[in-house]
Amino acid sequence: MILRTPVPKKRKPESVVENLHSPVSDRRLVLYEEPGPVIAVEPSDEMVCTYHCRQMVKSEFMVALNNAEKQVAEYQAKLELLNNDLTQSEDERTKFRDSVLSLEQKLEATKGREQALQERLLKEVDEFMERYKEQVKRCSELEVQLSKEVDSRKKAELSFTSAKERVTDLEGRLQRLSDSAEREKNTLKEELQHLQDDSKLSARKMTADLERMTLRSECSERESELLKKQLNDLRKQLDECLCEKNALEQKLATYPIPSQESTSSGDKNLVRYLQEQIRGYEAEVQEARKFKAFHTNSELLKEKLIEEKGRREKVEAELSKLQDVQLSAQKLELELVSWKSLLEELPDVSSLNDIPKRFAALQKEAIQNMMEVSEVKAQLKQLEVALELGENKRQHYEKESGLEKQRANNAVLEAKRLQMMLSSVTEERDRLKKEATMLSKLKNSNESGLPNETLVKDLESSLADRENTIKELQNNLHEQQGVVNHLHDELKILSEQLSSEARRVKSLEREGDRLRAEISLLESKLGHGDYSAANTKVLRMVNTLAVDNETKHTIDSLREELKKTQSKLQAIEELKGQSDAANIIDDGIPEILAQLKSQIATLEKREERLLWMISNGLMEFMSHVLFYNLYMLKVMMKNLSLSMNREIPTYWLTTTLLNQK
Amino acid sequence: MGSRTVSKDIITLRGSAAIVCEFFGYAANSILYNRGIYPEESFVKVKKYGLPMLLTQDEGVKSFLAGLTSQLTEWMEAGKLQRVVLVIMSRTTMEVLERWNFSIQTDAEVVEKGLIKEKSDKEIMREIQAIMRQIASSITYLPCLDEPCVFDVLAYTDMDVAIPFSWIESDAKLIKNPQMVKLHSFDTKIHKVDTLVSYKNDEQD
Repeated sequence: MILRTPVPKKRKPESVVENLHSPVSDRRLVLYEEPGPVIAVEPSDEMVCTYHCRQMVKSEFMVALNNAEKQVAEYQAKLELLNNDLTQSEDERTKFRDSVLSLEQKLEATKGREQALQERLLKEVDEFMERYKEQVKRCSELEVQLSKEVDSRKKAELSFTSAKERVTDLEGRLQRLSDSAEREKNTLKEELQHLQDDSKLSARKMTADLERMTLRSECSERESELLKKQLNDLRKQLDECLCEKNALEQKLATYPIPSQESTSSGDKNLVRYLQEQIRGYEAEVQEARKFKAFHTNSELLKEKLIEEKGRREKVEAELSKLQDVQLSAQKLELELVSWKSLLEELPDVSSLNDIPKRFAALQKEAIQNMMEVSEVKAQLKQLEVALELGENKRQHYEKESGLEKQRANNAVLEAKRLQMMLSSVTEERDRLKKEATMLSKLKNSNESGLPNETLVKDLESSLADRENTIKELQNNLHEQQGVVNHLHDELKILSEQLSSEARRVKSLEREGDRLRAEISLLESKLGHGDYSAANTKVLRMVNTLAVDNETKHTIDSLREELKKTQSKLQAIEELKGQSDAANIIDDGIPEILAQLKSQIATLEKREERLLWMISNGLMEFMSHVLFYNLYMLKVMMKNLSLSMNREIPTYWLTTTLLNQK
Repeated sequence: MGSRTVSKDIITLRGSAAIVCEFFGYAANSILYNRGIYPEESFVKVKKYGLPMLLTQDEGVKSFLAGLTSQLTEWMEAGKLQRVVLVIMSRTTMEVLERWNFSIQTDAEVVEKGLIKEKSDKEIMREIQAIMRQIASSITYLPCLDEPCVFDVLAYTDMDVAIPFSWIESDAKLIKNPQMVKLHSFDTKIHKVDTLVSYKNDEQD
């Protein structure tokens, strides 16, 4: 409310104005008459009047004067009242001034507090922003670390999977090798047994040969003894002959020679004859000796021959065996080399004895791995559930942090609004100051008291309003401070919870990735076709597609042969009808024909059954049966043809023979 | 088709086994066609799973697959079948070139107690359709089979399964250092079938 100085009332005649400056300073209005010449004053009619008029004027003047005096008195009273009011207003003004000063101080204090609050808020906002940036940086760093760890883990998992695959391959190889080793052992055992049996047989043979040889040697010894005896006898005879010869010679020498010439020729002839006999005997003895030697030599040679033959047979047998043994030895050498290479490849295996232990260990590891896989799957499921929960919590906390941030922004906006209000309050204060200065000016001029009342009232009302607004502002400030503090606390708690949840989520993600990799590895193994031999067996349906084709061909050929045999039978029956009168036809042919017919019927039935069995998949067996039956038929036909050789035309025989071929 | 009730959302063990075996039959035919095991002219187009599917007309193959799927159905109803593998081998060297692996996970509770489950037929068909599309598109990354090939089917069963007359025990016919591609899977709530193809790495040649 702007106090306006009231418009001063229009001055009455100048005399009144002049009277204000007259020495009579009691501020009373005094009418003044100039006795001097009237300058530019319109002469009143009253003054120009006569004495009566003058009296009348005087009386009127006196009346006016009295009235004026009364008015003056009234005015003086009013003046006094106004003065009193002025003093009161001045007092009040001073009071208000003091209150305004105090309010100004308070305002400045609140300003300072607000500024401090704002600065604090700004600092806190800056701190939060810095923390947020730091958190973002940490998140990015952690993500980088996570990616690195994931890569390293993937590499480790890949190496682990490759190692596992190698282990599985090695296990497979080990199993195969163990199987092959067992088979080889079995074969070697069998061979050993065979060799032992052979050696026993050979030993027995050798013993038998030895016995034979001993018998032969005994026989030869006996023969030799006999021959020796004969020899001795012959020697004895020889000696006797020689003795006789010597005796005869001595006798011849001692005998006188009556007629040496006549008897000397006889003696000489005798001697010659005897000498010739002796020579003959000696030759015979030598021949006998030679024969004996030859005999012994031949027998020895025979024995040697037999021995050599036996040895040759043995050697040949052993040679054949040697080749087999050499082959087996080569195989064993190759296997040994492979075993050695495998031993070198296998870790923690230094000898063959370690392999079963290694097998057992690998099997245990495989069982443990399977158990671990099952456990891992269960853990993965649990972790997935926990991951979902953690993610839900994280989202919830993120929402709450967003809400808290919004609240902080709202608090900041509130602070700004309060600032605006403060600025408006300061403007009002300045305005009040101006008004106060205006009031002071008015006081100095002091023209009227009425405007002061309105000014004072306006000031009072405005001051009351300001006080109310200031109180409201202070209350708002307090509230905002409380809200901001509460928000700060909540933000701290939420940030801590967020960090913990983030860590938990990351750990869960790592576990989940690891388990997913393991599951993918297991799935790849499953897709590869690996299976547990303890729980699963692999079956295959006998692929009858090729067999069916072959059996179809056999069926077609069988059908053709059936047709041919039927035609042959018809021809035979015709021949039978033609040659009924002949004696060549056997009685058994009708029976044979009946048999053939029955066989054909059975064959036809069998053919039908075959066709039915094809759909059920027993073709091979039935085809074999058919072949057998046809073969029997052919044999019987052959016999028939042989029995009816003369009567059956040759072209039938040739056709049958060709068909049989 | 199996003991599926009138309400198409309910599935029994027998119905689920029938679905899976039917899927295997069509998948095997699709593989034989796409990999060129048999000539194209021996296949006929039919509509199945919302797609044009190719079925062989070779009587031998048809009878083989029919006998196979009947036995697989029996094992699946008993809950004894773990996996079915279609193996493609070189005719000359009998070297294994590709393995189409169909892993089957059975709900043991359903087998024991004869429970029924609920799942929309359309959803199952959609899942199977996705697998069939993937099989058809596999020729883009699988190596070409330049030599004549043959196929065989292996069944991984429990140890207590009695071996039928026309079946024998076999080795797993594995590929050394294979490349593997995992395809989609489908689930009838009773049987879950995962498909995976492993093939011989072309770089090793």
